[in-house]
Amino acid sequence: MEVNRPQAAGWSGRERSLPFLKWIAWTAGITAAAPLLGVLLVAFGGSGADWRGAGDYALSSLVLAVSVASVIAPIGTITAWLVVRYRFPGRSVFSWALALPLAVPVFALAHAYADLLDVAGPVRSGLRASFGWSLPFEIRSMPGAVVVLSSAFYPYVFLSMKAAFRQQSGVTLEAAQSLGAGPRLALMRVAWPLAWPALAAGVALGVMETLADYGAVYFLSVQTLTTAVVRAWSVEGSVSAAAQFALPLLALAVSLMWFERLMRAGRRFTASAGWRPMPVLNLSPLQAVLATFFCGLVLSVSLIVPVGWLLIKALGVEPDVGRLLRAGVTSLSLGVSGSFLTVVLAVCLAIGARGRPLLLRLSSVGYAAPGAVIAIGLLAPVSLIWRLGQGEVQIVLSLILLLYAYCARLMGAAVEPIDAGLDRISPSIMQASASLGRDDARTAWSVQLPLARGACLASMLIVFVDIMKELPATLMLRPFNFDTLAVISSHYALDERLGQAAWPSLLILVLSVPAVIWLSSGGASSHLKRRTSS
Amino acid sequence: MALFRSVSFAVAALALAWGCSRTEAADEQDATAVKPSELNLYTARHYDSDLALYEQFTQETGIVINRIEGSADQLVARIRAEGAGSPADVFIAADAGALRRAQDAGVFQPVSSAELEARIPSALREPSGLWFGLTRRARIVAYDSSKVRPEEIDDYADLASSRFAGKLCVRSSDSVYNLSLVGALIEALGTEEARAWTRGVVANMARPPQGGDRDQIRAVGAGECEVALTNSYYYLRMRTGEDEADREVTEKVALAFPSLGGQGAHVNISGGGVVATAPNRENAVRFLEFLASQNAQAHTASFNSEFPVSDDTPWPEGIAPYRSFVAHPMPVHTFAGRQSEALTLMTEAGWK
Repeated sequence: MEVNRPQAAGWSGRERSLPFLKWIAWTAGITAAAPLLGVLLVAFGGSGADWRGAGDYALSSLVLAVSVASVIAPIGTITAWLVVRYRFPGRSVFSWALALPLAVPVFALAHAYADLLDVAGPVRSGLRASFGWSLPFEIRSMPGAVVVLSSAFYPYVFLSMKAAFRQQSGVTLEAAQSLGAGPRLALMRVAWPLAWPALAAGVALGVMETLADYGAVYFLSVQTLTTAVVRAWSVEGSVSAAAQFALPLLALAVSLMWFERLMRAGRRFTASAGWRPMPVLNLSPLQAVLATFFCGLVLSVSLIVPVGWLLIKALGVEPDVGRLLRAGVTSLSLGVSGSFLTVVLAVCLAIGARGRPLLLRLSSVGYAAPGAVIAIGLLAPVSLIWRLGQGEVQIVLSLILLLYAYCARLMGAAVEPIDAGLDRISPSIMQASASLGRDDARTAWSVQLPLARGACLASMLIVFVDIMKELPATLMLRPFNFDTLAVISSHYALDERLGQAAWPSLLILVLSVPAVIWLSSGGASSHLKRRTSS
Repeated sequence: MALFRSVSFAVAALALAWGCSRTEAADEQDATAVKPSELNLYTARHYDSDLALYEQFTQETGIVINRIEGSADQLVARIRAEGAGSPADVFIAADAGALRRAQDAGVFQPVSSAELEARIPSALREPSGLWFGLTRRARIVAYDSSKVRPEEIDDYADLASSRFAGKLCVRSSDSVYNLSLVGALIEALGTEEARAWTRGVVANMARPPQGGDRDQIRAVGAGECEVALTNSYYYLRMRTGEDEADREVTEKVALAFPSLGGQGAHVNISGGGVVATAPNRENAVRFLEFLASQNAQAHTASFNSEFPVSDDTPWPEGIAPYRSFVAHPMPVHTFAGRQSEALTLMTEAGWK
């Protein structure tokens, strides 16, 4: 593998981009950023919000984000390193199963844990009855929220680190070892720095999801800036105050993306002709058991225990099968069409915006914006569109708007992997294309796009899974008689009927599992690997 | 390329999504050549029992109901964004404060209907007919019957007294039901006394506010606290519900109806009104009248354990024992406008 420090100007300097690509990128970027501009307009167009107590909200958002980051970074990295590098019992299962929590809506994890570990829940009641003693740990608290959100979001780190480790060449590690570095030193000095951009990307996704979350933190009684947004809206009845509370969230998102960019700056690594997979090492029996135990523990906390509890609660009630099936079809259709549209836009953006990181970052801010905030931003432009049509036209418009909201909200998740995929294409390939007389647009079409195909599919799957779980924008913008699984689950949860709420949540899991397994089994990244290594 | 193969798939999916969105309404439309009468309902209620009521309405009148469920405030924002072309006919919310905010946002138009006025007591509707209470829910106290005597909580003030220091469970100040209760206290007792009450409540909390109403009742059952604030129907539904552990809790926990200044328990409503721009105004009024009918009220009382608004409605077995409770005569529209003040008091007192 060759390690290329990019030249100051880069190979795709502004002066060489065709207006066509530039035009497409700007269109896609503005499309994605439009709701955020709407938020700004609404925020500055209304009266001032009551900022008393907002400091506490901001602080708890910050504490939550930092805590989640410091939990998911090591857990995602260690599990990824273990399954890529070592042989231990269960490895082949863990290497895809550890990504599965991605398929569970975080609000469902919160429901399950809040119920399971509630003071009146089975665990603590049981302990009290048997030992007259109960857990000192309160699930509805900041630490509880960190556990739940980390369970939901560590797979972002796991997936991106696993792909990064897999793409690393065994040659590099061998070189390190031939220079006298032991396996641990090789990890610290070679594999780890090479995977650094992937870590930054994975953590950034997890933290942005954390900042945007409302459902889970609400359920776990942690009040963050999203609480302030919802409060301003639903108690004060002031949309502009709500939009103002969203501004710090957007600022946090922007700084996060700047930070991620910083991490990636000057570390462009591309695969070279000498690539071959890293050898898988054996562990001592004790180490192997420990590895299995660790992966098993992570999987139990993040998936098996909460989903098992949801299943038990679900089986205790009788579901409305017809309604669930209809909602399942709706969710699936929205997921497929929404993820497709989002990725098409993201590809335009990522290719067109090479060398223009600002545009790319701006269009990704929506990912850290709570869905309700995106909805606020969309309301201004949509009010125009809504007024256009009646009846069926309105239904179609609502659907288009909803898909558009998904695009705007999830562009960050889509664009990051694609951008990272494009980063891995060696400049020499681009130069070869240019020397054959292809302009940038044709190079994009015939070289970059095929090479980043794996990354496109990966981002499509991530967006698909996110849409399956998406709630606030769906609640706000959907047409009549149009329930998704997440919507049904939230209605039952609001009515405090956990068993009924568990059914749609479990169905979301079932429908998303194939996508997650495919993502996780490396199907997406192997294309890139094969292409660049051959 | 896989990417392009999926184009057709995505387009098909989009078409399917569109198809789904119109299934219910379309099924009816295809069956009859004439476009049937419609009603577009924006509702913040989310109870299964309502779906059966909608079906019944369609059967009785032939009017097809299209519905969007969501949080009250997002629905209001949507109606406003849709402007004059909004399809919304009826807006329903599960809290008087939410109805008031909708009213302030200009969502409703006045309705004068002899039937609605006859069936719904004047204290439970907006004086100019902008919105109407359709069911009642008392915000009252669940207590541990082995540790607390009912006469110890015959007034809301008792919750703030030292008797219950460290013994009280409440949910957060995000709860609209708590906001409406404090709003009613401000209305009945004045700001200062209400402020003192919120401070007393915060001082008495057994734990930081958390969970929903059922969680408060369960916490009483688990011995975490002795008294808790809850809406009546959550307790009643637990007692008759599908969860065995919940049913056991209600054997240990009883309901008390404290009084506000000696005049009765705080009662909130779920209700609705006709949207200012309603394209199907007649159907909208008809739907509200249907919901106010004895039949519909009895249905909601049976399946959701909410209290009827009309005196002539029979109280089903599950809620019958509480029929004699005394409700405070305060008109709901008076406390409905005080949620913002209430939140300020609660936040200042440290009620999270």
